[in-house]
Amino acid sequence: MYAIECNNLTHYYGKKLVYENLNFKVEEGKILGLLGKNGAGKSTTINIMNGFLHPYAGECLIYGEDSKHLTPATKEKIGFLIEGHVQYAFMNVHQIEKFYSGCYKRWNSEPYWELLSKLQVTPNQKISRMSCGQRSQVALGLILAQDPQLLVLDDFSMGLDPGYRRLFIDYLREYAKANNKTVFVTSHIIQDMERLIDDLLIMDYNRILAQQPVDEFMTKFRQYNIILDNPDIPFPKNGLSVNVEQIRAKVSFYTYAERKEVEGYLNREGIPFKSIEEINMNLEDAFIGLTGKY
Amino acid sequence: MYKAIFYKEWLKIRWALMIFLLLGVFALVNIFLNVRYGVRFMDAHDYWYRIIIQGSNYAASLKYIPLFAGLGLAIAQYFPEVLNQRIKLTFHLPIRENKVLLMQQGFGLAALIVLFLIYLAVFFIGSAIFFPSEVINMILVTIMPWFLGGLAAYSLVGLIMLEPLWLYRVLYAVIAYGFVSRFYIQAVPMAYSNMLWFFSLTAVLTVILVLFSGYRFRKGEMHHG
Repeated sequence: MYAIECNNLTHYYGKKLVYENLNFKVEEGKILGLLGKNGAGKSTTINIMNGFLHPYAGECLIYGEDSKHLTPATKEKIGFLIEGHVQYAFMNVHQIEKFYSGCYKRWNSEPYWELLSKLQVTPNQKISRMSCGQRSQVALGLILAQDPQLLVLDDFSMGLDPGYRRLFIDYLREYAKANNKTVFVTSHIIQDMERLIDDLLIMDYNRILAQQPVDEFMTKFRQYNIILDNPDIPFPKNGLSVNVEQIRAKVSFYTYAERKEVEGYLNREGIPFKSIEEINMNLEDAFIGLTGKY
Repeated sequence: MYKAIFYKEWLKIRWALMIFLLLGVFALVNIFLNVRYGVRFMDAHDYWYRIIIQGSNYAASLKYIPLFAGLGLAIAQYFPEVLNQRIKLTFHLPIRENKVLLMQQGFGLAALIVLFLIYLAVFFIGSAIFFPSEVINMILVTIMPWFLGGLAAYSLVGLIMLEPLWLYRVLYAVIAYGFVSRFYIQAVPMAYSNMLWFFSLTAVLTVILVLFSGYRFRKGEMHHG
């Protein structure tokens, strides 16, 4: 059984299509990153998965159970981080731990206090009076103490400075791998995501652009910088091309093809060029290459 | 689980509860200071005549306090839940969504009823000093709809605040205003004596309406506007 299985998920907001026939599965023990620009449908997917939105068509199964009607037993298995690290901000760190410890059978407060020990917070400080970074640690600590099998983290990186983002990612990865947890994470900030995720799902408006292990994507998806002989010739955006960005004679060409294939393609299309160079990309570069800058 | 949910609700409402406890007791003490003044320092015969024959209600200034207590407690309880859609956290707890809503609503109502019982106890003690039981009963029947109105207002605020769409919220608020204002039309003694059962029944029925807003939230109605 998969931890998450979404079949033919289709959703509209009014008449606006969010996506049609979205299919994906997350194996137990994997960390999957759902990446996409703002408005690509990441939060829609999270809302459907957690039973806060009924899809127009299709289904989303969490441990085999329709997400529209999750039972308490299944909800207990899911740790859910809401976008913006939303928590009961009227509580302080002790009150919130006391509250959640009464809700979950497998509650283990150790990781919560361990994470909080790294923060400069006073015992009676309300969560509403904490910085965004501190709140993120409280929210993560609570999820870890819940000891869920599946962690669903919606745009956890939002509002975090680089230090907190790195702390969050490193702690989460180490925890998930050591305890064979499944993680489903969305983010529109791609920086550092390579350190966290095993598999990626890149969404654009209405469609999936990539769905594969990160290593495979990073090996196969390539960027070539090509200098054209004639800057007036428009570069073709078909065939091998996934995305093309042209500024006069300089072309950034994104493709899954190898160098020889690209050279052959350019010759066949009758595009003379001065040079072609493969560029090393990190995940953020590749994400922008795939989805475009706009 | 029950203990945890009630603990959360207590953290939200405790200050509002204290404030309304003090406010109500203060208003009641003030009422009886006025009664004492009327009986002792003005013409006692005339004062009694106004109450028994002319139907003056010595507790009239208490009228809207149960309503404000109901509204205040509901806002204290539901505002932190709807702010940043924190109700998602509550719905995500390992418990049925309707059950957790009813537990929240039940806790708030129980707290409100305890508050009202304290008001009524103070009312009884104060009244017993100055009036015979016939007068107290008469005034009690008169003020009872005000308390029932407070309970109905409490339940309806939950319905309104949890509703995901503003248009529906406004619509519910208008209907709720029309409904709750029925509880406050008259201050004349015994005006509602034949209708008390109706007020009680409708006030009780409003309790479960919050489930409808909860269902609409989970269906994702806020995303379809």
